[in-house]
Amino acid sequence: MPYVGFHNKEISFKIVYYGPGMSGKTTNLVHIHKTLVPARRGDLVTLDTAQERTLFFDFFPVELGRVEGYAVRFNMYTVPGQLYYEASRRLVLDGADGVVFVADSQHQKIEENCESFLSMQKNLRSYDMDLQSFPLVLQYNKRDCENPIPLGVLERQLGLNGVPVYESVAVKGDGVFETVKKVTQLVVEQFQI
Amino acid sequence: MTPVTTTKSPFEDLLAALIRESGALTVLLVTRQGTVFSQGGDTSYMNTTAMAALVAGMFSATREVARMVGEDQFSILLQQGERRHIHISLVAGEIMMIVVFEDQARTGMVRHACRRAAEQMAVVLPQARERETMEKDISLPAFREYALNLIDRIFQT
Repeated sequence: MPYVGFHNKEISFKIVYYGPGMSGKTTNLVHIHKTLVPARRGDLVTLDTAQERTLFFDFFPVELGRVEGYAVRFNMYTVPGQLYYEASRRLVLDGADGVVFVADSQHQKIEENCESFLSMQKNLRSYDMDLQSFPLVLQYNKRDCENPIPLGVLERQLGLNGVPVYESVAVKGDGVFETVKKVTQLVVEQFQI
Repeated sequence: MTPVTTTKSPFEDLLAALIRESGALTVLLVTRQGTVFSQGGDTSYMNTTAMAALVAGMFSATREVARMVGEDQFSILLQQGERRHIHISLVAGEIMMIVVFEDQARTGMVRHACRRAAEQMAVVLPQARERETMEKDISLPAFREYALNLIDRIFQT
């Protein structure tokens, strides 16, 4: 649900990076944040534990610039990946306009990826989101790991058709911009007033 | 996707009055999604974007906590600091009003001013929503085309 402020000429969209623990959600955000020029981004806010695992969310705004007289912004969020933070994940998804699902390509993570994806679908449904038309991008992260999950495996297991898929190595920045570019494009293409 | 929309803010006068009456430092109106849509008082010392995101998260977490103890929600949150304090209340069930103030002795006054402002805002909000339908000045095809161009430029690979 984008925010449209007619009086302050501002439009903001919410993009959420979702996925299992340690799949690289925060790494995606940190890379985007450090690569964008300062004029295009606000401060990165991180709510993490002493072990640097995300506790609630990471957040920063991307300033797209002025469009039709409106300042357009993408508010970028991650969710905590660890299993016991399910309630927090659901809260962060509230009002999301687009989601990047960051899957971990390590073979032993197939089940964890699927569980996390199904919980995301359930949470989106709880906010009455139409999953058929909802802007979603699937990112297979950690493609540099040994024997990565072949592309197509998760799509088949989860019954996904036509969802854009990207490969990435977020720690090196590979595939990160391609992913964020796609999800922001989908969100803008679906924008209605 | 049905957007949350606001228009020429009649809230600005209400917020200015709230600041005057309560002696507060800052007031922000924030959507449930964590976006500031109106503000009053001094905001120069604060990153309002981050503040809005954090308070929205905090408020939604508190709502879940309330449900766990059999309440729909806690309508007021009060955070007390050494020098500055924050009073957060819900307006019309969907907008958070964040008030930052310094003098702890004014807590009661802040609470009273917030309650009054919230009542007035609940009346003004539907009128503002009605008016906004007349003020939609965005050409969607042009908006999309230009925004997609900017996305291409910003996220160049």
